[in-house]
Amino acid sequence: MDPTHLHLLLNHVPTVGFGIGIALFALSLGTRSHHLKQASLVVFVIVALMSIPTYATGNAAQNLLQERGEVSDGTTEAMVTLTLIETHEGAAFLALGLMELTGALSWLALWQLRRRANISTGMSGGILLLSLVTMALMANAANIGGMINHPEIRGAEEVTTFAGHLGRTVGDYVRDTPWTWIAAETLHFVGLSMLVGVILLIDLRMLGFMPQLPFKALDRLLPWAMLGFALNVFTGMLFFAAAFGQYTNNPAFFWKLVFVLLAGFNTLYFTFDDTWAMEPGRDAPALSKAAAVGAMFFWVGVMYWGSMLPFIGNAF
Amino acid sequence: MQLAMTVFSVVLGVTIVLAIFGILIDRSAASDERNEGR
Repeated sequence: MDPTHLHLLLNHVPTVGFGIGIALFALSLGTRSHHLKQASLVVFVIVALMSIPTYATGNAAQNLLQERGEVSDGTTEAMVTLTLIETHEGAAFLALGLMELTGALSWLALWQLRRRANISTGMSGGILLLSLVTMALMANAANIGGMINHPEIRGAEEVTTFAGHLGRTVGDYVRDTPWTWIAAETLHFVGLSMLVGVILLIDLRMLGFMPQLPFKALDRLLPWAMLGFALNVFTGMLFFAAAFGQYTNNPAFFWKLVFVLLAGFNTLYFTFDDTWAMEPGRDAPALSKAAAVGAMFFWVGVMYWGSMLPFIGNAF
Repeated sequence: MQLAMTVFSVVLGVTIVLAIFGILIDRSAASDERNEGR
């Protein structure tokens, strides 16, 4: 299976999955169900994670179409135009940004739900509003994406959205202004330090090191790790938009994404782990220890494949 | 030199904004713990 097939497979997840998430979240607000709210927030986080490879594989599909000569300059109606592809990319770029924001807020709400009876009305309202806007943007991106693959729904007129060619605008700006790439690269390392620093500390405690450290105190550090992850997703989006050609056919990037997803799901598991409620001095259960080993392996994997981008693949 | 200053300013600015977010979340968590203790 190549990245193009993956894009065709994954591109249903953001719209269908997010639709399910919104329905569950609205139902949880109506029924005041704690479990439904948790389930809907988990769906938002999972869809936000899955949207990353969905977006990245889209540019791989574009590359393939261009290599095959199936992208026209707009003079032949039967072929896909580069303008249509870049309009789809722009709409998807904006939707992905808001999707990641919704995912990060949903994770924060999940974390708060574990620590107290409910989340604030402001947080619930914010997530609902953000998810509805994201859904509208994602549905628009999906609709334009459908036109690329289905000539039967493609009209003669040029499709435009208010996002324009946002992916290209941002990407070209990052590529052409020296400070943006360097600043994003530095911030990527700041985010990585926040993320891995906190995760490693928690994993070591789970494995039995520093038994005097209460789990409850470490739990307070988790949002710092999430802030680091969010920073890295947004700076990562800038790198990808600026030079997607060096990532789409890069095996190191493919494996980096796989490890990001595995590490993301691992973090989601830890959000619900019972160990957080344990008293200081107690030993974590075997399953939590196994998850901690998994977390270390996955995050080191993310760093390893990130470092290997220029050496195994064709980046930089 | 100007490039280095620009990059430094942007990185510092974003890091400060991130730190403010982190502190606000932590203060909210501390408040929850105090309420739980009552």
